[in-house]
Amino acid sequence: MTQTDRRRSNRSRWSMMGLGGVVILSSVLLANGGLPFNLSSEGIDAGRKPTGYPQLVSVEPLPEVAMGGEMCAWVPAPSPVLLAAALRQERSASPSPSVAVADRRGPVALNRPPVRVIRDPYPTYSAVAVDPKNNEIVLQDENLFQLMVYDRLTNTPATARLSEPKRIIGGHDTKVEFNCAIYIDPKSGDLYSVNNDTLDTMTVFSRNQSGNAHPARELSTPHRTYAIAVDEAREEMFLTVQDPPMVVVYNKYAKGQDKPLRVLRGNRTGLEDPHGIGLDTKSGLMFVANYGNVAAHPDGGGNSLPGRGYGEMLAGSGRYEPPSITVYPIRASGDTMPLRIIEGADTQLNWPAHISVDEEHGEVYVANDGTDAILVFGVTDSGNVVPARVLKGPKTQIKNPTGVYVDTVNNELVVANMGNHRATVYPRTAQGDTPPIRTIRTAADGTPALQIGNPGAVAYDSKRDELLVPN
Amino acid sequence: MHDIRYNEARDELYVNNPFAQAILTFRGGADGQEAPIRVIQGPKTKLISADTLEIDTTNNEIFVPQGDEVLVFPMMANGDVAPTRVVRGGAKMGWKSGGGVAVDPVHNLLVTDGTVEVEGEGWRTSYRGGRESILIFERSANGEVKPLRVIRGPKTGIHGIRQMQVLPKGGWIVITQITDGGIAEPEGTFVGVWSINDNGDVPPRWKIEGKESNIMKKPRGVALDPKHKEVIVSDMRLNAVLTFYFPEIF
Repeated sequence: MTQTDRRRSNRSRWSMMGLGGVVILSSVLLANGGLPFNLSSEGIDAGRKPTGYPQLVSVEPLPEVAMGGEMCAWVPAPSPVLLAAALRQERSASPSPSVAVADRRGPVALNRPPVRVIRDPYPTYSAVAVDPKNNEIVLQDENLFQLMVYDRLTNTPATARLSEPKRIIGGHDTKVEFNCAIYIDPKSGDLYSVNNDTLDTMTVFSRNQSGNAHPARELSTPHRTYAIAVDEAREEMFLTVQDPPMVVVYNKYAKGQDKPLRVLRGNRTGLEDPHGIGLDTKSGLMFVANYGNVAAHPDGGGNSLPGRGYGEMLAGSGRYEPPSITVYPIRASGDTMPLRIIEGADTQLNWPAHISVDEEHGEVYVANDGTDAILVFGVTDSGNVVPARVLKGPKTQIKNPTGVYVDTVNNELVVANMGNHRATVYPRTAQGDTPPIRTIRTAADGTPALQIGNPGAVAYDSKRDELLVPN
Repeated sequence: MHDIRYNEARDELYVNNPFAQAILTFRGGADGQEAPIRVIQGPKTKLISADTLEIDTTNNEIFVPQGDEVLVFPMMANGDVAPTRVVRGGAKMGWKSGGGVAVDPVHNLLVTDGTVEVEGEGWRTSYRGGRESILIFERSANGEVKPLRVIRGPKTGIHGIRQMQVLPKGGWIVITQITDGGIAEPEGTFVGVWSINDNGDVPPRWKIEGKESNIMKKPRGVALDPKHKEVIVSDMRLNAVLTFYFPEIF
């Protein structure tokens, strides 16, 4: 070997060492979770722990060996040329080189906390009911999954961070999750709590329960149940179900796996992703708020529950309809057409959530999530009608309202706002941009409500460096 | 809405509406009550419960699993458009999708979670009662097909996967496992990573288990941020998004 050959072979050997170093360092980084390394042998020994797969144990110079022949030019690891070539190679080879390396490794349970958390730590109100007998307001917190009971006259001072409830019902044992509706038994004070997704259970708590309490009673309900209304005289409990769209009516004291007394379901019902429900027992009417998402029932409908799960609706029959309030005889069942429909641009309906019926004054109150407003219609309204009153504007503090309750005993209107950590109280006939007479706040004024609710997925917008969270 | 995907090349985002049986495409920067730029909906679509979806930005396709089939649409489809392919399982092929779906355009694979029919036991097997498998198909599969590989068995710990992603560089399948959505705080939830070449009863290569020390309770969604080497997880019990540094897979 000439002097020139020896110099070339040394240079080649260090080129190889460069490539080998990258591979080893990659292994070390895998073992260490990407933390900076101290490559002195003392540092390595001190940091060495059994992990079940290869680790760097020492760094030694290569022995002097003669190397000849042609060598590949070294290409930096991050090079897109190398990456593309590697991916092409992976496409044709099975298993891929990187996977082949991984195949030799055992399972690794990573004990690491998240580096960032996006979470709203404060309650967010989704529904409301008033107990005039006990002078309480009960609010559903759909962010932290709890029922919060306040004195009816609670009013959070502007300088206060929040108002404390009298009691809270929440925790694993309560079976409360995505709790979206509340009903208070006017006689016993029992709290009926409806879960929308996941748990498929309606829970009932007695007046003296609090904390992580087991429900006094449970009823298995259809998946995607949303709202509740009760005909006390007949002791019948009405629940809306978003999809398949229907109204299911149970005995008020139903429990366990009890079946509904009757079901309003079918292609002629006009039920289209039903949400809020209200009863006018005086006039014998049932009012249902619909978002407008709908598909056809394969069996056309009927006075029965459909099978649960995949295949409930007719393939390719989905469509979008305008939001609406549909009105039925209170005892309607099966594939019954509505008596009347409130629908059209003049109604301003947009994501109508809970509704509350004032039998005494003949009015229907709608929490209109999509326009940050409370709409009021007459119980005899029909078609593309303008609301009798609209409560909306910056002074109202109404933001994404989903809950509404008319308290005819105290002549007040209470709104649960998903968009700003507060429940707001108004005179019953308030309209326009009227400020609330009282506010129950769960977070400091101005604290944004993240409104992450039932995040079924997440995406990363690499262009804007943003996270997309569907709810 | 149980899925969402972002397409950087077209600056578009894709979501589903299962109640209206529709796939919606929005501008990437869409805000407020903005209308979608495309809607796939109608009798020809065969959509029943468009609950989840995946996009293939290389081959410009949208994948929608529903029950024992996966529908494939052109990415630019708009209106009442028939799927270009339907990957079918069912009793004949012995698999059903659970809803998780991901595509690897580099290794040409379609990955879904689901249930495998076991001879003598049927769909509701004694092992976990269903939704216990990761199924790996050819990306361009069409008609009645069997998976190339099935990851399934006690060592896998799989039960109730929701959103999933594939990272072609490295060949990793990344999943979130909610286990049982019907339990408020179920045990056995985790973020798990398998190789696209895994087969049979093999444990995940890496997993982050839901536990008090990392606050994760009910992981349902997962997205990848290769630039920052992060795995992003949506948690439905916390109503939160958790970001984990995960350099091992990037």
